[in-house]
Amino acid sequence: MARRDSVIDEEKRSYGALWLVLSLLLFVAGLWAIADDYIFRRPWKYYQERFSQMEIAKVKEAIAAEQARLDQDPEYQKAVKALEEATAQVQSGETGEQIAQLEKQLERARLEDVEKDLNLRFVKSELEELRFLYDDAMHHGREDEAQEVLEKIRAKEQLQVERQAIYSESQERIAKLEAEIKAKQAAVKAAQDALAKLTATRDDLQQKLETISLGRYPAPSASPPFIKVDWVPKIPKIQQVVLEEYDRNSYQQPVARVDRCMSCHTGIDKKGFEDAPQPYRTHPKREQILGPHPVDKIGCTPCHNGDGPNVNSARGAHANYYDEHGQLHEVHLREELALFRGPMMQANCLKCHPTAVGLEGGEIAARGETLFIELGCHGCHLAEGYETLAKQNDVSIIGPSLRRIGAKVEPGWLVRWIRNPHQFRPRTRMPNFMFDETQATQIAAFLLAATKDSSAAWVSEHPAPDVPRDPQTVAAGKALVDSIGCRACHALAPDEVAGQIGANKDIAPNLSAVAEKTDARWLYHWVKNPRGFSDIARMPSLRLTDDEARAVTAYLLTLGAPQPAPPPLLTKLRDPGAVAAGEKLVRKYGCAGCHDIPGMELESRIGAELSTYGNKTKEELFFGDRIDLHEDWATFTFHKLKEPRGYATKWIEQVMPQFNLADEDIEALMVFLRGRTEAKIKEDYRYSHSFSEAVVRGQRLVARYNCTGCHIIEGRGGDIRRLYEKNPSEAPPNLLGEGQKVQAPWLYAFLQAPTTIRPWLSVRMPTFGLSDEETVTLVHYFQGLDGVTSPFTYIEVSDYVGANVEAGRMLASADYLSCFSCHVRGNTFPEGEKDSWAPDLAMAAKRLRPAWIVDWLHDPQKLLPGTKMPSFYADPDNPDGPPDILGGDDDAQIRALRDYVISIGLAQAGQLPTQMTRVQNDQAAVQ
Amino acid sequence: MKRIMVGVALVAGLLAGTVHPAPAYEAIEVTNGGSLTGTVKYAGTPPAPEKFAVTKDTQACGTEKTKPDLVVGSDGGLANVVVIVKAMKGKKLEVPATPVSFDQKGCEYSPHVLAVPAGTTIEVLNPDGVLHNVHVMGKVNPEANRAMPKFQKKIQWKVEKPEMPIAVKCDAHPWMHAYWFVMDQPYYAVTDAAGKFTIADIPPGDYEVDVWHEQLGQKTEKVTIPAGGAATVAWSLGKS
Repeated sequence: MARRDSVIDEEKRSYGALWLVLSLLLFVAGLWAIADDYIFRRPWKYYQERFSQMEIAKVKEAIAAEQARLDQDPEYQKAVKALEEATAQVQSGETGEQIAQLEKQLERARLEDVEKDLNLRFVKSELEELRFLYDDAMHHGREDEAQEVLEKIRAKEQLQVERQAIYSESQERIAKLEAEIKAKQAAVKAAQDALAKLTATRDDLQQKLETISLGRYPAPSASPPFIKVDWVPKIPKIQQVVLEEYDRNSYQQPVARVDRCMSCHTGIDKKGFEDAPQPYRTHPKREQILGPHPVDKIGCTPCHNGDGPNVNSARGAHANYYDEHGQLHEVHLREELALFRGPMMQANCLKCHPTAVGLEGGEIAARGETLFIELGCHGCHLAEGYETLAKQNDVSIIGPSLRRIGAKVEPGWLVRWIRNPHQFRPRTRMPNFMFDETQATQIAAFLLAATKDSSAAWVSEHPAPDVPRDPQTVAAGKALVDSIGCRACHALAPDEVAGQIGANKDIAPNLSAVAEKTDARWLYHWVKNPRGFSDIARMPSLRLTDDEARAVTAYLLTLGAPQPAPPPLLTKLRDPGAVAAGEKLVRKYGCAGCHDIPGMELESRIGAELSTYGNKTKEELFFGDRIDLHEDWATFTFHKLKEPRGYATKWIEQVMPQFNLADEDIEALMVFLRGRTEAKIKEDYRYSHSFSEAVVRGQRLVARYNCTGCHIIEGRGGDIRRLYEKNPSEAPPNLLGEGQKVQAPWLYAFLQAPTTIRPWLSVRMPTFGLSDEETVTLVHYFQGLDGVTSPFTYIEVSDYVGANVEAGRMLASADYLSCFSCHVRGNTFPEGEKDSWAPDLAMAAKRLRPAWIVDWLHDPQKLLPGTKMPSFYADPDNPDGPPDILGGDDDAQIRALRDYVISIGLAQAGQLPTQMTRVQNDQAAVQ
Repeated sequence: MKRIMVGVALVAGLLAGTVHPAPAYEAIEVTNGGSLTGTVKYAGTPPAPEKFAVTKDTQACGTEKTKPDLVVGSDGGLANVVVIVKAMKGKKLEVPATPVSFDQKGCEYSPHVLAVPAGTTIEVLNPDGVLHNVHVMGKVNPEANRAMPKFQKKIQWKVEKPEMPIAVKCDAHPWMHAYWFVMDQPYYAVTDAAGKFTIADIPPGDYEVDVWHEQLGQKTEKVTIPAGGAATVAWSLGKS
């Protein structure tokens, strides 16, 4: 009984309050879920709507401005008035009545036309039916019936012709009425067209307004007075770009990358939002960067990083954020996705481009790359893509060869140099290993011992020259050094800067104290033929005569004073114990990474591999005792490059030397290093061009031999021009368009053995002693820069005789263009001083590409701004040439000049047909 | 923190690098304007005129010439000095309706210093019958180098944008050089052979005046222009 009672009690109990509470909870949770889904976790919706409003407001503003302009424009007012008048005319008065009449007639005619059309169609249908009946009768052999039907068909056909005529007449009438009305309204139409022409801009904007919005809502007629009628923003939706097979998953399978950045950054590829706040702002380098990298194909994260698909919050999508103190924080566990801010994003250029050098917008990465190569980082650190640059034929080529160091440097200087190279040359590339006096002496002792025999052999083969030290010889030497091009690479005063890598590294040694380092014998033989001392010398030969070499040596010996090593030091340098200790040090500090040292050819790189350094997480980086630093990649790398041994602890030694890099160079190197990652981007996404490889190889050679010390190449360099500011035409040539300009075989031969092209220059093109491979690389490089696909130029000798050449000869004469007023022609030289001369035209046949000559003659300034060569045919609209040759046709004259210029060289080489065949050819042409 | 500093430096750099367009010259009605008249002299003893031998096109150019870059008159007056009153408003800059001549007769540019309003058409003459080339090394205006062969007796050249100065030279005759001043306002003059110049119709007030010579450099003078009167000055330029 009791049990039953308790059940009844249970049933009687009310759960109303609980139910109420729970359903309220459920209701609130539901609301919250909806709000969360639609509002809180969808910040992009707000951004898109906001952007849409901005865009609408902008276009509306533009329309208003345009309308205001129109209102001020008397033309527009006239057109509006004309339209009004024309409209009034057709709506009232006699014309108005006539039109009304015509329109009434037209209406009636159209009504009647419907009936006439119907009648015709009926006949056609009936005819179809009869034809069927006829066929049917014939098929079943009911010939009589068929005959009967046939007659009916004939009658119907007749009827069809009649009704067709009625219908056609009706159509014509309608057309005629329409034409009449149109003619009466022609004035209106014309006025409308005239107005439309004036309002085209406004109407286009109006149309744009409709495409960027959902339209005007609510419709003006439907709106209650309290609802504002306006253009309604589009409904926000996720904007995404899918990059198929861009990434790889953990199993190295290609997977797509999804970028939704534009869901918030709506205005990124739209002009006109340059000053809008983020995230609406237009890309700051929209045309420059988004042009070659269309957002709809490349997306955003390939350059910027970030968590592409994440649209829940800015912090999540960017995977990093600035706190209120301006400190950048990464989002935990997503460090590898963190957005690159500032120049760091240039690191990503290198994922798809074979080099950053020459990339517009990739200047900092390019600077880092150049520093990495030219400072020889790859001598100690393996880095994919740069593995082969440190050695040539198994010889380290980053620093000078030490194979004959004993014959080159004064031992006391060598010790001082090893101790701290920056003390002797603050801007040298050689880093400071911070050796103490003993260590430096030991290393010097080893180097001198190891190269003793080879040095002695060289000395015995190269006698000390008799260098006169009188002021005249010194002055002559200085004049040579000043004029033949030495200063393109070398500075002669402590504070002078010639060419440099980055902010503070000289490309070539500063010679202000060279006499402290070496002696007359070495200087004389070195300046005469650097490759005679070292096979890997970067320094070229300037083809000095013995006298010139003596003079240059005499001058260089005035720069600085020898400080001979004291005898006790010489004794120490001969100590076998020191030699052995020195060898250990040389191995430990990896000197052979950069220098060719006898017996150390097989030493391997001593530094950590950097191929994937950009991927390293902070856990993989050793901060040592530096608890003062914020632990992240950028901080670690900056301080590593700033103080290479800063992370050493009592127990862990570090050997990286001090490069004394400027902060901006460190930043550039950081950008380059950030780009060293595991990412393997699919071929389709990479920059590739048939010339890419040739250009990259060429750029590296150009850097190695410092061609840009003299020449401007790819718009960079020309360091020597600092000496020719007043007379730039005396500076070495700008090589803009060299690939288009010269024939490949000529360039090859010229690079191997330069000849004089510009007799007025005192600066000399050096002989670099390039290998065949290097020379070919350079030829391909110049052709690649200019997109020249064929290395061949065919000149059909028989094309260069005849009337055309004669016309060219006439044009070139003193009576016309007077080419030889400046140009050398074989052994015939122009009047005047050499500074008014121009290149030998007899070279053109072998040197220049005929197509280039035509472009050049059209407008030399366009191909090479600033050139001495004036434009004879620069006016595109009017003929510039003399009217009495070839009918005054500029193009024909230019072709004639080209042919004549080429014929000069052919004739000089005895390649032209004889006079006899020339006449025959002419006759053949006439016939 | 470093990054912020870099950022701040960058922003500062950007701001500093922003080009504020120079306030444009404003044309107004000038009533009771004053004039500036005076002489520019060579400070110190003028060097003897420098002569050099000519070895090219001697039938047209002669065999000897005097360097045109420092011409001092008998009483020390310095020719070819450009005097520019830096006025912000004043009379309208009138562009000459007919082209202004720039002659190359005898392989010498005449005038050696030419000052014209922006928009002027310069007519370059070649009466010599030899190949000249006119290399106008504009930095604001486009650089151009046009040949004038024997048969081309004149060419016209429109200088559109203000630029002070543009160097002009002939690459065929390296001694030939000249300067063009393309002005954005009307208050300028080039001194004559006696070093004299006059600039009229200047709204009264205090002005800075730039005095430029190709060899002796540029100097800024101060001057007060009286209403309806004339300010007379005697300036000198010398090797510093």
